Amino acid sequence: MKKADSKRLKAALDLYDYAPCGSVSFDKEAMILDINHTLCIWLGYTKDELILKRSLLSLFRIGGQIFFETHFFPLIQLQGFVKEVYFDIVRKDKSIFHGLINVREVPAHDDLPVSYQATILDISDRWHYEAELIKAKKQAEADSKAKADFLATISHEIRTPLNAILGIGNLLHQTSLSENQKEYAKLLLHSSEHLLGLVNNLLDLSKIEAKKIILEQVPFNLADLANLLHQTYLVKSSEKGIHLHTNVDTDVPNYLIGDPLKLKQILTNLIGNAIKFTKKGQVTIAISKMKETTSEVCLKFVVSDTGIGIPKEKLEAIFQEFAQASYDVNVEFGGTGLGLTISKKLLELHDSSLNVSSELNKGSQFSFELWYKKTNRQSVTTESNSIDFKAHKLEDMRVLIVDDNPANIFIAEQYLDQWKIKYTSAESGLEALSILEEESFHLILLDLQMPKMSGYETAKKIRELNLESSPVIVSFSASTKGEVQSALEEAGIDDHLSKPFQPNELFQKLLKHYGVANEVDNREKKIEPKTETHQDEVPLIETPIPDSYNLQRYRKMANNRQEFLKKFITSTLDALVSYQKDYNRAMNARNIQNLSDLIHKSTMSIYYIQADRLTSLLNESRQGLHQKSTTSDLNELIDTCNHEFETILKGLHKDLKN
Amino acid sequence: MTSNKKKRIEDLFNINVLGSGEQPMLFAHGYGCDQNMFRFLYPYFENEYKVVLFDYIGAGNSNISAYSHEKYSSLDSYADDILTICDHLNLENVIFVGHSVSAMIGVLASNKAPTLFSKLIMIGPSPRYINDAHYTGGFDETAIEELLETLDSNYLGWSTTMAPVIMGNSDRPALGEELSASFCSTDPEIAKNFARATFLSDNRKDLKSVAVPCLILQSKKDIIAPIAVGEYTANAVQNGRLKILEATGHCPNLSAPKETAEAILEFLD
Repeated sequence: MKKADSKRLKAALDLYDYAPCGSVSFDKEAMILDINHTLCIWLGYTKDELILKRSLLSLFRIGGQIFFETHFFPLIQLQGFVKEVYFDIVRKDKSIFHGLINVREVPAHDDLPVSYQATILDISDRWHYEAELIKAKKQAEADSKAKADFLATISHEIRTPLNAILGIGNLLHQTSLSENQKEYAKLLLHSSEHLLGLVNNLLDLSKIEAKKIILEQVPFNLADLANLLHQTYLVKSSEKGIHLHTNVDTDVPNYLIGDPLKLKQILTNLIGNAIKFTKKGQVTIAISKMKETTSEVCLKFVVSDTGIGIPKEKLEAIFQEFAQASYDVNVEFGGTGLGLTISKKLLELHDSSLNVSSELNKGSQFSFELWYKKTNRQSVTTESNSIDFKAHKLEDMRVLIVDDNPANIFIAEQYLDQWKIKYTSAESGLEALSILEEESFHLILLDLQMPKMSGYETAKKIRELNLESSPVIVSFSASTKGEVQSALEEAGIDDHLSKPFQPNELFQKLLKHYGVANEVDNREKKIEPKTETHQDEVPLIETPIPDSYNLQRYRKMANNRQEFLKKFITSTLDALVSYQKDYNRAMNARNIQNLSDLIHKSTMSIYYIQADRLTSLLNESRQGLHQKSTTSDLNELIDTCNHEFETILKGLHKDLKN
Repeated sequence: MTSNKKKRIEDLFNINVLGSGEQPMLFAHGYGCDQNMFRFLYPYFENEYKVVLFDYIGAGNSNISAYSHEKYSSLDSYADDILTICDHLNLENVIFVGHSVSAMIGVLASNKAPTLFSKLIMIGPSPRYINDAHYTGGFDETAIEELLETLDSNYLGWSTTMAPVIMGNSDRPALGEELSASFCSTDPEIAKNFARATFLSDNRKDLKSVAVPCLILQSKKDIIAPIAVGEYTANAVQNGRLKILEATGHCPNLSAPKETAEAILEFLD
């Protein structure tokens, strides 16, 4: 080697050894092959202690070792280098050196296996800055979360007193009042319902913001959902003199898998808005198919109205929280201004978006597209099915109410009085336990949030009593069932009612559980062969054609009074006979308008007897006329529909005789 | 026009189906990276098998917006996702190849659907990372805390440093330009959640119900899953075979793809 070369080599080696950064090379197993002087000084080792004796991994803390194996080394192997990754390196004296590592792969060459060269920078300063930044960021995030939690808690807490307001409002409404008082009670009820809507929206929004909402994947029936929405809004739109149309294209599959609640929430917001901002004309809900694969389908939902419209410059703003097109809008139409924000966020959760087009004084159109999985499952359950056929008499029922809040007890008592259900009330868990030692109950209504002994503890203690009658425990609190599910199960609580609740929600729970409890009783009765018949009892067993209609709603309204139920059935029978005539006339004349009128007219009767199949047949008929279907297709439809009419009429006649 | 097509299963999990064979071979990546982990390995199987690759939700090019911290705080949900993928692609008689934590995800999936997999191949499996009185997992509990700290410390640099530069790199022909920019650049919060789900899991009791033939591939030196753990796993399943590889480190599929592939092919023959 020439003298000059050897001088240059020495200079290069010196530079390597004494450069202001650390250098280390290692092999495939992370064994250290060479290390420079600088790094040795930083780490407090001598070269001899490290070279071919220690692996680079062993200089990292254990967390760093896992990180190296799972993230860092795979990346080097895939791309040949990694830049600027931070590692804690353990010095000989066990203190921590903050290093930033760059690695380059040296491919195998001249019989030398692959190796890796790392350059390490001392970033102690930067590490401290970063630590400060992370701390500040975490603090800011914690603050923001605290605010969101506060909002959620407040909304949550408001629901409890709201329960009392709503309950009293409901009760007040049912007492005999002067015209003035009736108006006040109505205002009270409307305002508290409005407030509840606002609070629920706030809760939803805070849950979305906190990413606490996830999309469900459950089977559901789209036609049912559309029908339900139509029924729900028909009254409101009729009151305003607006036509409500729901058009579901025939090629849209009925049975889907997705999140029906979120879809309902989005559509509810849009339809509610459309009706609110429309003074005359119509609101149309249209569902059509955009794309379809073997397993999935993309549907387009459009809600359009002929309302006041939105000025162009406000189109962006309407999606912001609490924003409506103008202040006057709020004064005139009310509303929280949260519905659209929530709908938009729910759609974002679906990876979709809400599109809007609008013309001032002509109307607005909101649309969105969603993908759903298709399913063939015909047995998609609907919410109401779970309580069907259990319409037992509730008068024998004994209920224990446990709540520390006298107002809530009072309201529950008023409802139970109305339904002629016997009850006892307790203002604490302890009191409830001592009552249970004396008396037995079918069902316990239990508040979860009570001082001293919470609802959960009370339930656990009740279960520990091993009561022979083993009462059903239904808890209530401002939390939703989903939020407290696991705690409920653990405490042995059977069901949950979230506050504030409407009287019918409570009634349904009683019905649901007393039905079950009663069946058990009946089974026990069979052991002692004692037969009792009550002539005046409302028939408990459904007619054998349960799919065509259902008397559940009438039974509830009749409050188990046979004469009322008979009256309801008679008037429905009369109405249906004339509807059937109207139907045949309209169909034979191919008159869409008359048929639409009939559908409109018959909505409430059909709703009460839950004749869902008849509803869809009527809608199909309308669609058939609309699409100018062939005569044979129409005749077939007419036959089916008439058959359905007959089935219901026959069944109702039979019910009347019973 | 936007739609929620990303929600569709293929896009949700960034599913790629390759190869000309009939029998499906499902490659499930482990904690840390994404399906690129198998980049050097799956070509050995393309001729004879239907190679299925995917990214778990939260990793690689999966749809991150489908990620939920609650849902993915246990390995169970990951196993459900495996079943969703198999169901969606109508896969049957599947050879499941799980690297690292995916070996146990495969075990959970196999217990949920006992006839779905015909064979399980586990690369560097560990049913329990933390030591207890009668078991050597390789770590004590402080290790996982330190890992979380490390993930935190790399927070600021992460998104840029862990994402590879897109390269038209001639000395790495195996890596095309399409190498995803998201490889290894998971959201730190997701990485921490997955780390917790992985390193705090205990799947020892789930092993004994696995009846299908299992191949346990174990590097001769691996700090994440020591040999004792590989032996434990092979003994705990009903029909397990342990193969110690000459390769070292936790990712023999990357560092020694040929040796790994040969061991799998031998097992499948």
